[in-house]
Formats: sequence, C-alpha cells, structure tokens
Amino acid sequence: MTDADCDAIVIGSGPGGATAADVLTAAGWSVIVLEKGRNHLVDLDAPHDPLRHLANDEIALVHRHLLGPDPLLEPRTYRRSVEDGDRLLTGEVNNLPSTVGGGGFHADAKLPRFREEDFALHTTRGPIDRADVRDWPISYADLEPHYAAVERIIGVAGEVGTNPFAAWRSSGYPMPSGPDMAMALVSSAAAERAGLHPYRAPTGTNSVEYDGRPACVDCGFCGRYGCPIAAKGDPIASLQRMLRTGRGQVRPEALVTEIVLDASGKRATGVRYLDLTQHPDAPVVELRASRAVIVAGGSFETARLLLRNDLGGDLVGRNLTYHFQTFTVGVFADDTGGDRGRDVTHLHDDLMIDTPELRAAARQAGLPWLRGGVTEHGSAAGPVDEAAMYPGGAGHLAAMVDSSLRRRLWVLTMQGEDLAQPDNRIDLDPSVRDAWGLPAGRVTYRPHRHELVASAYSARVHEAILADAGSQAAFSATSPPQDHIDLHGDISPIGVAPASRHVMGTARMGHDPATSVVSPEQRLWDVPNVLVCDASVFVTSAGYNPTLTLAALSHRAATLLAD
Amino acid sequence: MSTGGSTTQPVFDEASRIVVAAALDAQVPGASDLGAVAYVEQLLTALDHDPPRIWAAPEASGAEWLELGAWERAAWAQRIDAMRVAYARVAAGDATEADRRMLHDHACEATYGDPAYGGNRDRGGWQRIGFPDPMFPPARAAQTVDATPAEAT
Ligand SMILES: Cc1cc2nc3c(=O)[nH]c(=O)nc-3n(C[C@H](O)[C@H](O)[C@H](O)COP(=O)(O)OP(=O)(O)OC[C@H]3O[C@@H](n4cnc5c(N)ncnc54)[C@H](O)[C@@H]3O)c2cc1C
Ligand code: SF4
Repeated sequence: MTDADCDAIVIGSGPGGATAADVLTAAGWSVIVLEKGRNHLVDLDAPHDPLRHLANDEIALVHRHLLGPDPLLEPRTYRRSVEDGDRLLTGEVNNLPSTVGGGGFHADAKLPRFREEDFALHTTRGPIDRADVRDWPISYADLEPHYAAVERIIGVAGEVGTNPFAAWRSSGYPMPSGPDMAMALVSSAAAERAGLHPYRAPTGTNSVEYDGRPACVDCGFCGRYGCPIAAKGDPIASLQRMLRTGRGQVRPEALVTEIVLDASGKRATGVRYLDLTQHPDAPVVELRASRAVIVAGGSFETARLLLRNDLGGDLVGRNLTYHFQTFTVGVFADDTGGDRGRDVTHLHDDLMIDTPELRAAARQAGLPWLRGGVTEHGSAAGPVDEAAMYPGGAGHLAAMVDSSLRRRLWVLTMQGEDLAQPDNRIDLDPSVRDAWGLPAGRVTYRPHRHELVASAYSARVHEAILADAGSQAAFSATSPPQDHIDLHGDISPIGVAPASRHVMGTARMGHDPATSVVSPEQRLWDVPNVLVCDASVFVTSAGYNPTLTLAALSHRAATLLAD
Repeated sequence: MSTGGSTTQPVFDEASRIVVAAALDAQVPGASDLGAVAYVEQLLTALDHDPPRIWAAPEASGAEWLELGAWERAAWAQRIDAMRVAYARVAAGDATEADRRMLHDHACEATYGDPAYGGNRDRGGWQRIGFPDPMFPPARAAQTVDATPAEAT
C-alpha cells in the first residue's frame, strides 16, 4: 500500500500501547500512537524530555481529573447483575487515567511477574463450578524473555532470592530495591512470625539514576499521582525510546471511534478518529496503516471499541475480571510514616500458594481450591482524602489530628484472584452516551463465591498479623463491598463499583476461536492484522498486579508481528 | 448572590458570604478562617482566567496554571454552572443533601488542599494536623480572590 500514513497505528499510549510502539519502531516500522487523552507526560518535540506538569497536588490529581477522563465527558455505568436493571450508577467506574501514558503514569508501579502456575490454572488446580477457568495458550517460559526485556526498558528495581515462590528468571533486576518504608519492616516481621514470606516489591520506580531519569526521592505522592521528576519508568521510557527513533509519533486528543476494514472485511486498513482539539465539532480524521492496527485502550475501552465496531465476536467484553480487593486496615498508636515513601514497598505471595491451610479452607467451603492474591504492605492517603472520610461537624478537626485513617493507618491489601465468569462483562449501555454521542461502557460484575471465601480467609490472617504488629484495631473491607450497598457511593472512600484499577480479560487469548477473541499472537481471529495489546487478553487474573505482564505480552506480540 | 465572574470580583455578596462561610465551617470547623470562601470563589470564577484556575502548575514549570483542553473546559463550565446553582441554594438557606456533600468536599479541599487553590491560608490547615509541606509543590503565587464582598444583586 503506498498511500498509508504509517506501518502501524496504535490505539492508546498506556503501558500496553507504548510497549508495542517501542518494539515496532525499534524494528524499523513507522508508528502513529493515537491517544484520546491530553499530554502531560513527555515533550513530543525532540529531545522528548519529560513535561513538568505535575506537582504533589491532591486537588488536581485526585479530585479534579487532571489526568482524565472527566466523568462528565466520559461516563461509565455499573450494575451487579441484570437484576439491578439497566444500571446501578453512572459516573466513574474503574477509571484509569486517560492521558498520554495511560494508567502507567498514575500507578505506583508494583511490577511483579506472574508465576508458572498462573498460566496453567486449569491443569494445575482444575475447574470450578460456575467459573470459566482455562489455561493460557502460552506458558511462563514463552513470556520470560519478554518479562526480562520490559523490566529493562521500564527500569524495575527489585531483588532476587527473597521471594521463595517467585518464578525462575533468566536475569536479575536492572536496579536494586529502593529504601524500605519503616512500617513495612514492622508488618513484614509480623508476617514472618505468622509463617509468611514477605519480600521487597519489584517496582518501576528508580532506586538509582536509570536511563537518564533520576532516582525516586520518596515524595509520598505516588499512586494516583504522576511523578514530578519522572522517576517512574512506566511508560515514559518506552514512549521516549520510540519517539527518539524518529519513526514514532504520538497524537494526543485523538479519540478512535472506528477501525476501518477493506472490502473483504478481514483486514484493517486504518482508523477514524475524532480530533478533540476542536470543540464543539470534533472533526473526523482518517488514518491509514499499511500493516497493522494495535488496540491498546485498556481492557475497558478496548472492549468498548471492539463492541462498537462489531469486531472480535460474541465473547468480546465477557469474562471481565478485576482483582477482588480485601483491605485489612490496622490503626496504630503511632505514626506509620505513609506521608513519605512510595505507597508500598513490601509484598507477600503466600495466599496464592497451594498450602494445606488454603486447601482446608477450600474444603470447608465446598470449593476444589482457593487462591488469594499478592498482598501489599502499605499506606498512603492525602489529607484531603482523609478529611473527606470523616463526617462533617464539630468532631472533624479532632478526627484529623487523631488521624486514625492516615497517619496511624497501615493496610494489607490483597489483590485477590478473580475467577472469570461469562456474565461478568463490559457491554454498551443502552442509553447513557458520552460527550460525542457514543454509547458508554457498562460493567456488569459480581464476584464468584471463591473470591468471597478467599477474602474472608485473608481477612483472618491479615488482621492477626496487624494485631501482632501492634495495631490497636484491625478490620477488613472489600471492594466491591459485599454487605451494605450504599447508593451514595460517591461519598464512600471505596465506592459501590469495584475500585480495582486492575481490569482484565475482556478479549481473552486462546487456541480456539470458539472460546477466545484473539490468537496466541494476540491477533483478532476475525481480522488478524488487528492485535490487542493490553490486559484484555488475560485468560485468568492471577492475583498479581497486571501491568508488567501486559507489557511483556505486548512486547511479545509486537516482536512476533515485526519478525 | 452575584453571577459575575471576574477574579477580582468575588462571587458572594456580604450576606451570602456569611451564610456560605458558616455552611463550610459546619463541615470543617475553622475552614473559613483558612480561606474556604476564597477557595470556593476561585473555583467558581476559575474559567474567567487564562489559563483557567483549575489545575495549579508545578513550581518547576515556570507557569502558574495548566491549560485545559477544549472539551475539558466545556466539562468544567458545566460543573461550575451546577455549583453556582448549588451555592445559590446554600446562600438562600435551601441546601439539599447533595449540596451538603459538595460543601463537605469543598471544605476539606479548602482546608487541607494546596494553598494555590485559595484555601489552606499560610498552610494553616496542614500545620494544625502536622502535615509536612510537599517536596514538589504547585506554584502558589496566584491567591488573588478579592475579599471585598460583591455588590448584592
Ligand atoms: C492509582 C493506580 C495505581 C496502580 N498501581 C498499579 C501497580 O502498582 N501495579 C500494576 O501492575 N498496575 C497498577 N495499576 C494499574 C495500571 O495502571 C494498569 O494496569 C495499566 O495502566 C494498564 O495499561 P494499558 O496500557 O493496558 O491501559 P491504560 O493504561 O488504561 O492505557 C490505555 C490508554 O488508551 C487510551 N484510549 C482508550 N481508548 C481509546 C480510544 N478509543 N482512542 C484513543 N485512545 C484511547 C486511554 O485514554 C489510555 O490512556 C494502577 C492504576 C492506578 C490508577
Ligand atoms: S514516591 Fe518517588 S516515584 Fe513516586 S512520585 Fe514520588 S519521587 Fe516519583
């Protein structure tokens, strides 16, 4: 094709899209990345230095949607099941930032790898009633070189040998671990006394100067804030690399609405997007790609785009998984030090492991097996968020000074494995529209009993650990909440909809087009030059933070595409 | 309540200002002494400035406020219009439950958010709870809401 604008178009500039664009431009392809959000991350002109748009500013970043999306422009809807009617709420539902860099920009970047078992859960653990447990079409060994590659590109700080459950690796981490949060040492010691195996979290924040970017200075405004000094590598490192080849472009404020197919309907020739720099009439722009279109809008928006374009078949949007989060909260007599430091410096994997205790808990609940998730030791809450959690009135200042929900708080958060269920899905809301008249995405989600049993188990274990660590009180809460559904979820710190920003599984990969949306190479079965390069392709949610794995998958898919 | 919108013109007339200050203080005691009304007025007049006073820029950037995109501006115009209506209800003593939640949010933001937004005067909100100054603060030169009450309309 001679009139193409580029070899490949990438939709979305988060960790998935940025990684694919990096690999393809390194292989000599010309790539245009289209991003519906605005650019606060990297100068699009050479030498592509970080933009200095970010401060330690709770109002801009947490309360005023600086990194998008603005829910007035892009509402989403949520219901637990069809019994809730068309929707339970409209507004913010699992919103990840919509901005150049996507959610990677915002995250505090715990970047663990999955383990071997996570790719073969059906084989190793077996089926569970009312869940669609499957093996992945690839193994850990297939992905390992790509894990190693993205750890180097992003810059992951970590240490080998301290997590006894970690999968094998072909190389060490590119950087040593950063400083520990003091309270993480206390909760880790208590976890060890309980027989668990905490370890320093691998994080995509620089512990030393790396790749021209400075070391993290533990400013304390990490998760939910972009880094003011670009000490987080994900995904600025990939975007800078691809821009610096001269073959890559990023176009912000470009909302892709359509994937254009040729007459056969089996090949994509490009996309149409709305140029959101113009208001109120955003013009439609058509862009042609000679080789491939890569969809990397994140699992929510990727499914929404495919559904609107009637691509990918009937399974698109189904088997939506999150991590079923259980927050075990300890309130301590003294400050826990969350004001400074990254949000989390230690993890433990024990509740993912097939132990006699978890087997017994599963048997007691009538389940064949039970897997919890990686557990994060950490704390962070800005004072505005804290203030919003206390009821207004005469006692407000005393509550802030006492600060049981910030200064004296320490939390063990389990990112519980969420089993795939076909009825948990993203589809198009029948009547809510975004600012451009496109149907809003709607989540229908209810956890499986497995998640609830694992959550209750973790609550018992983690409350005992926090008590042993010295907490005055310890209690647990889940997201989504299981008991009392408060329709004024906008004032709840956790909310009614799942708060997890780990969204997965809406375009699963597999060997069989009847049970998957994409092939093992992440190509749509019905239009093979359209690839999906984000966590939509996950077959199971695995109970580990997803971003390193989705970046590794994107690295693998783009490498295979370029070969 | 005035619907006027220049920065140097405050939003509230004297009577409204007293009622709004009391409503904010009812949520977070001492909020108005720390500039909560100025915070609200800066928010309600944010789009009268160029760039709008929605997102403070970091000190390192050399600017004071970040630009909004065209659609973001439209969304904020809609949001601020709704807030103006809500504050008119507050000033008239007719606050709804949703208005009280907005007041709670604004009182918290004004007391414990960055001083760039017009509240947390002299970092007094942070000082009273021992919150340390941020390492990478936004620029804070632009606290310019005039405390003179607006003409009653
Ligand atoms: C506060 C926070 C903390 C987190 N912490 C961690 C963590 O510690 N570890 C971890 O592994 N993960 C973490 N996450 C999750 C992590 O951010 C996501 O897993 C990751 O960003 C997903 O990457 P992605 O590229 O698939 O999608 P995204 O990051 O969501 O990027 C997709 C991009 O595509 C754009 N887009 C979508 N649709 C279109 C369209 N139609 N046209 C144009 N552009 C489009 C979006 O605007 C967005 O910018 C965290 C998230 C948050 C919010
Ligand atoms: S804690 Fe470190 S990586 Fe996180 S925002 Fe602050 S300086 Fe950046």
